[in-house]
Amino acid sequence: MQLMINGKAETLAEDKVSVAELLALKQVESPDMVSVQLNGRIVARQAYTEQALAEGDEVEFLYFMGGGARG
Amino acid sequence: MKGFATRAVHGTFSGKDPNGALRMPVYDGVAFEHENSASLAQTFAGRKPAYVYTRLANPTVQDFEQRLQSLSGGLAVLALSSGMAAISNTIMTLAEAGANIVTTRKLFGNTLSLLSKTFQPWGLSVRYVSMLDTCALEQAIDNGTRAVFLESISNPQLEVADCAKIAAITAKHGVPLVVDNTLLTPYLFDSKKAGVNIEVLSTTKYISGGATSVGGAIIDNGNFDWRRSPKLAGAAERFGSMAFMASLRQEVFRNFGACLAPHNAYLQSLGLETLSLRVDRSCDNALALARFLAEHPQVAAVNYPGLPEAGSHAVAKQQFGASFGGLLTFDLADEEVCYAFMDALRVIRRATNLNDNKSLILHPWSTIYAEYSPEERLAAGVRPSMLRLSVGIEDWDDLVEDLERGFNHHD
Repeated sequence: MQLMINGKAETLAEDKVSVAELLALKQVESPDMVSVQLNGRIVARQAYTEQALAEGDEVEFLYFMGGGARG
Repeated sequence: MKGFATRAVHGTFSGKDPNGALRMPVYDGVAFEHENSASLAQTFAGRKPAYVYTRLANPTVQDFEQRLQSLSGGLAVLALSSGMAAISNTIMTLAEAGANIVTTRKLFGNTLSLLSKTFQPWGLSVRYVSMLDTCALEQAIDNGTRAVFLESISNPQLEVADCAKIAAITAKHGVPLVVDNTLLTPYLFDSKKAGVNIEVLSTTKYISGGATSVGGAIIDNGNFDWRRSPKLAGAAERFGSMAFMASLRQEVFRNFGACLAPHNAYLQSLGLETLSLRVDRSCDNALALARFLAEHPQVAAVNYPGLPEAGSHAVAKQQFGASFGGLLTFDLADEEVCYAFMDALRVIRRATNLNDNKSLILHPWSTIYAEYSPEERLAAGVRPSMLRLSVGIEDWDDLVEDLERGFNHHD
């Protein structure tokens, strides 16, 4: 599957990946502090497991430095 | 870790310090180097969790923010240089020229001044109602209202509004409820549970651990749909529940630069560790002194939400439980007697801070409200005969002995 991750085209071997799986797969730093933006919109934290990614999706891992976004 | 004291002591620092430090060290520097330009660019784009400049974020400050977030249960916390910075940054993030804020005159004098003298000339309209009159409050809210602002216990009037009742009204109208919880802190009052959306704090007070440093904090409780805020609807499309914090961090806070100094963050993290112990002691002392003062023949009136006879007691008990903070006021015969009383004290200090470890006394009429006309002071609930006593953590009998010294000043 082809995704645009943080502005870079990347190919994943997997066909089906959730946001939570992508965070683990990409070994995203401080996963408890990251906000995930999918095609321009932030994904609710509680939806990370169900939210599936599709071919061509644009994913951004964003950080609001400082305490927060752990809920 | 469920208990407040356990979380306060252990914090959120993972202990991954290169030298195994148990406590987050003080990163008392300004800039953070990156190994290459791409890393710097990724960090500026928000794609990498790293530090660049202390005005924006700093590890020691962030540790304090995360401790406070863990203790409050909020979605996100921002630490600032003072409580006034917390209030001004919050209002600037929520409102714009032409909009209005609904509040009360029963506020800390500087907050009243910020709203009426600083923001109003920039085009923000300020509507004053009694927070005890929820019908008037609801009538004051319209499409231009960007926030309702009040204090959980107002300083120095010690008025206690029913936050849950007010939160139901603000939620109905899609307006965020902002509460200054300085006099109670998240330890005594869970603002999120009451439906408050944004909590602001002067961390200088109880949290700093004995007036060690000036600081403030903004807590987003994560319970407001920012798509309902005309100012933040655009940010909500992109940032969802983080819209307020994203706008705050990436615009208002960054541009105004009211950041908390790393050393102050360190001192305030130390303060957080003993917060519950100190607050419990201060509240016990305050209740005991309020009872003592209430029975004293020279005292015309005592105001402390913990006294059953106080007008605020029923709401305060329902909202805060068994502790009512460390601040009380009492009235003597007149201003002259107040001055003589204060000047005779030896343990209780004459100073303008509150919720220090030391007990502090102040004559609000001639100090924190001196910039207002007598009529305005009276409208704000401040009288020439009133003294404000912030009760510390000393031994109770030493404080009583000192008050007796004040009453006997003419001997």
